[in-house]
Formats: sequence, structure tokens, C-alpha cells
Amino acid sequence: MSQPKEIFIKTDRCLGCLSCTIACVVEHSKSKTLFGAISETPVPKSRVYVQWVEPDGKVPLVCRHCEEAPCMYACISGAISRDENGVVITDTDKCIGCWTCVMVCPYGVIGRQLEEHKAYRCDRCPDREIPACVSACPTGALVYETVDSFSGKVRKHASRELLRAERG
Amino acid sequence: MHPGSCCGRKGDNVTEEKSRYIIVGGSAAGMAAAHTIRLHDWKGSVTVLSEEPDTPYFRPLIPFLVSGKKCAENMVMAGCGPYTGRDITVRIGARVESVNIAGKTVSVQGNGGLAYEKILFATGSRPYIPPEIKGTDANGVFALRTLAHARKMAQRVETSDHAVMLGGGLLNLKAAFALLERGLKVTLVVYSPEVLSQLMEPEDAFLIRKALDTAGLNIKTGCSATHVISDSTGVTGVALDDGDEMPCQMVCIGKGVRPNIEFLDGSDVRIDGGIVADRYTACNAPDTFAAGDVAVTFEPVSGERIMTALWTNAVEMGRCAGRNMAGVKTAYSGTFGILNATQVADEPFVSMGVVHTKSDDFEIYRHATETTYRKVVFNPGGTRLIGAVFIGDITNAGMYRYVIREKMPVMNIKRYIIDHTLHYGHFMTGKI
Repeated sequence: MSQPKEIFIKTDRCLGCLSCTIACVVEHSKSKTLFGAISETPVPKSRVYVQWVEPDGKVPLVCRHCEEAPCMYACISGAISRDENGVVITDTDKCIGCWTCVMVCPYGVIGRQLEEHKAYRCDRCPDREIPACVSACPTGALVYETVDSFSGKVRKHASRELLRAERG
Repeated sequence: MHPGSCCGRKGDNVTEEKSRYIIVGGSAAGMAAAHTIRLHDWKGSVTVLSEEPDTPYFRPLIPFLVSGKKCAENMVMAGCGPYTGRDITVRIGARVESVNIAGKTVSVQGNGGLAYEKILFATGSRPYIPPEIKGTDANGVFALRTLAHARKMAQRVETSDHAVMLGGGLLNLKAAFALLERGLKVTLVVYSPEVLSQLMEPEDAFLIRKALDTAGLNIKTGCSATHVISDSTGVTGVALDDGDEMPCQMVCIGKGVRPNIEFLDGSDVRIDGGIVADRYTACNAPDTFAAGDVAVTFEPVSGERIMTALWTNAVEMGRCAGRNMAGVKTAYSGTFGILNATQVADEPFVSMGVVHTKSDDFEIYRHATETTYRKVVFNPGGTRLIGAVFIGDITNAGMYRYVIREKMPVMNIKRYIIDHTLHYGHFMTGKI
């Protein structure tokens, strides 16, 4: 099996424009349009969060689909499982809204759909080739790659910086 | 499920079968261990012995059987969430009577012996029925613990119009709401000054109390039952220690649980309230392990020995035991005595770590609005977060749990903790 892709975050590139959250809401709406989304009930929720860190840091956060996903093991109703692509999925039919997953997620990226009393999170946009948030990001702060590809680029960048420093 | 995974020959009165791994108890800890063993040892036979008549199920869901919102088939563990391991033999109705530690065999009631190489004790706990309450053997008295109990309770609802719940803990509240949903009048009798006294102090619980009152639950605090009154139809009422008598057709007892350790009577396995497990979930006898409600483990903040009866803890410890049994030595990180999240009467709450703060000199910050309440507890020096209660707004609760459990120095993030604005971005940008 080829290595699955993941959503990586480059915090130094995020401008806090919230394009990702809007794209996420639209993708998870029934109409799949912005105007449709804002008039739907319940209002579709973004599964990506852009947090502000003083003085001027912006950090997009989204479910990491952890290898040892604490939410999956903590779930008391068997609603959270991992699919064949490595994506951790919450089955809304099985979810009883006990919020145990919220209590154990160290990233704080599981949301509560209060109208339906269900937990929700990033599903990596199963209907899309590239997740909506990544497609929408104008600065490349969100990237969708395999671990090998992403870490390879990080290494390359670091090597370049090292060489530049050595050469003065 | 897969009967082929037991081997050995049939003897007369000697042990008939052998399984590389035997797991006594088929609930959270036991099943988590079984499936974890499968991740590390794909061929060693795994046999789970469960005394219940039902195949392993998500125990916390049983109130939904009473309310009618779910049926038993929708509670089955096999194939759900992380419980997808294969070739795990589950024997239901298999009650383990005793364990021969030296001979490495277990004796199953009415079914002879079974040999093992490694064994996990995950027998869980059972409801505590206070002996000072008389008449609890009457028909219509329940302590909701198993699917079998839930079925009987659901049946009794048909002929009941008033249920009295003894005990104001979370399990009894869940049962109370299931009965309310069935249209019964429900009265909760609580000895403590307020409901949920194990999870928060009375003044922390006011929003929850308000929500419970609004939801139509009758609550009597500061008193307890002396006896259950019954006739040939079963329960007809409850007598309280304040002289009151309440007519009812159902009584539900939620007064905590006790570990199931009797099957180890006379063995060398060390018992101290429950089965004593070391940092690697092992018991004192060779090749024996313990996990879940029955195990005595430790609290990560204080290091004190504790026992808990929480699904999430049981799964975590069961997974750790499974790894150790399969030869992957793994230390257990311990467990908070208090670690609860849920929603009662549309009021979500999380309670974790040290939340009872009357006795010591903790540094405490409280914040209340009309719809939310929080209390964060720091150690007396104010350098570490040790507990938190969030009611109404439980955003990012998992991160606070992480800060407590990892005993993080909080100097740089204390303001965010107190204001409940901490988020993972603070960690990513080097705030801590």
C-alpha cells in the first residue's frame, strides 16, 4: 500500500485569513456552496481551527489522525475507528455525545455539534482528492503530502540553511 | 467466534485445553488487552473468559437499552473502534472459579480446567449494595451494571410509574434519565449535600443541579434509605432515614462498586483492596497481569495507589497489559482517580484530577457565568495544574488533561489556563 498523505502545517506561512475554515464549512455543508452553507440548519461547522498566539502568531490546527489515537481508545460507544487510509472517523450514528473524545484529545480538535449532540472532526474530505482546507490555503501553510515527502522537504530546507550559514 | 484457536488433547480429569493467553473478564480491560495482544503476537491463542451471557459489549451504553434508544446488537464491541483483532476466542457464560498459579490453570465453573502461559485478571467490579439498607433482595431493586440487568430493568418499567434512585453518582444519573425518558417519575435520594459529590464539590455542581431540576428529576439530598418495602408484586416503596416513606415500584442502587477478586481467594496473588499491579501491569505471581476496575494502580500526580472504575482507564490499562503480555515491555502511566466527561440534562461537563479542594492549600481559580462554570486547581505553589472542572463549556478539555498528566510547568501558560483560552497553538509556537 502506498503511504497515505497527511495534512501538514507550516506555521510560518499562516496569515490567519481563515480561507481554510470557510472552505471546510462549505465542503461539509449539504449544498456545498457558501451561501447555501450559512442558511443551513444545523449550521455546518469547520473542522480546522486557526488559533492566535500573541503577539502575531497564527496556527491552523486540525485532527492529526494520531497513530495511537487517544479518542479511538477512549470512546465508550465504539463510534471512532480508523479506515483503510489511516483516517480516524467518528461514526455519528454511534456517537452518543458523551464528549469523552473531547476530554482526551490533546490537540483540542474535536468539536461538539450541539444541535445534534454529536462529536465531529476532520474527515480529510473523503469526496475530494485534496482536502478543501489545503486547496483553499493561499500561502501554502497547509500541505497535503506523505510523511516521507514532507520530511524530505524539511531536510532539504534545513540543509540549504546550514550551507548558507556556513558560507556566511 | 474462532474456536480453532484453543489446542490440546482431551483428558479425563486433567486440564483439557491450553491457551497461550487467557483473559479473565470480557469487558473494557479484557477486550482491549486481547486486541492489543493480537497486534504484537498474531498466532498465540487468545481466550477471553466472560461470565456474562452476552458477547462483549460497550457497558456504558446499557442505559440506552432501558430508555429504548438502542438495542443490544448496537452495543457489541467486536468489529467496532479498535476492537477489530481476529482469532480471539471469547467464551461467554464462562465463570472462572479459581486459578492455580503454580500449575498455570484456571478452573471454569461446570467446564473443567484451562491451561495458560500468561493470564490477565480483568474481572472488573460489581455494584456495592449497602448491607444497612434492608430488603434489597426484593423484585424491582436494581443496580444497573450489565446488559442482563438492563433488560430486567426495562421490563420492570412497564409496570412502574415511580422509580427511586439511591445514590447521586454519574451511573445513577444516567439510569435516572433513561427512566425519565420512559415517562416515569424519578426521585433521586442522595446522602451527600449535592449530586455528583465524587466528581465535584457541591458549589461546583450548581449548574448541573439546576439542569437536573429543570429536566424534571426530583432530588432529595442529605438523606438515605433504611429499607425497601415490598410485597408479592415486588417493590412498593422505600423508607428513608428522615422518616419519609415514598411509594414506588422500582429502586435503583448506585452506591459505587467493589472489585471482583473472590476467584483469587487462597492464591498467592497479592490483594490490597484489589489486585496489586506493578508499573508494568504485572502481579506478584509469575506471568500474571491485572487491568481495569479490579486492579490497584497509581495516580500520576500524587503517586498514590488507587482503584478506578472507568471505561477509559480500563481500556488504557488493558492495552498496556496486552503489550506486556505479548512481550513488549511497557510502563503504565497511571490513571487519574477522577476523569469524567459526559452530558447530563443538556449540560456537558468534564471533571479531572484533583477537584476536591476543601482540605488543602491549593491555588484555585473559579469562573462562573449564567451558563458556564469552571474551576482550575493548581498545586499550593501554583506551579502545576493538578485538576479542573468544566461545566457548560468543555472546549479543549483534553489539553488540560495533558497538562495535568505530564506535570507541565505552567508559568508561561498559566494565564491561558485560568482564562480557559489555552490551545495547542501555544505549544506549537514555543510558549511552553
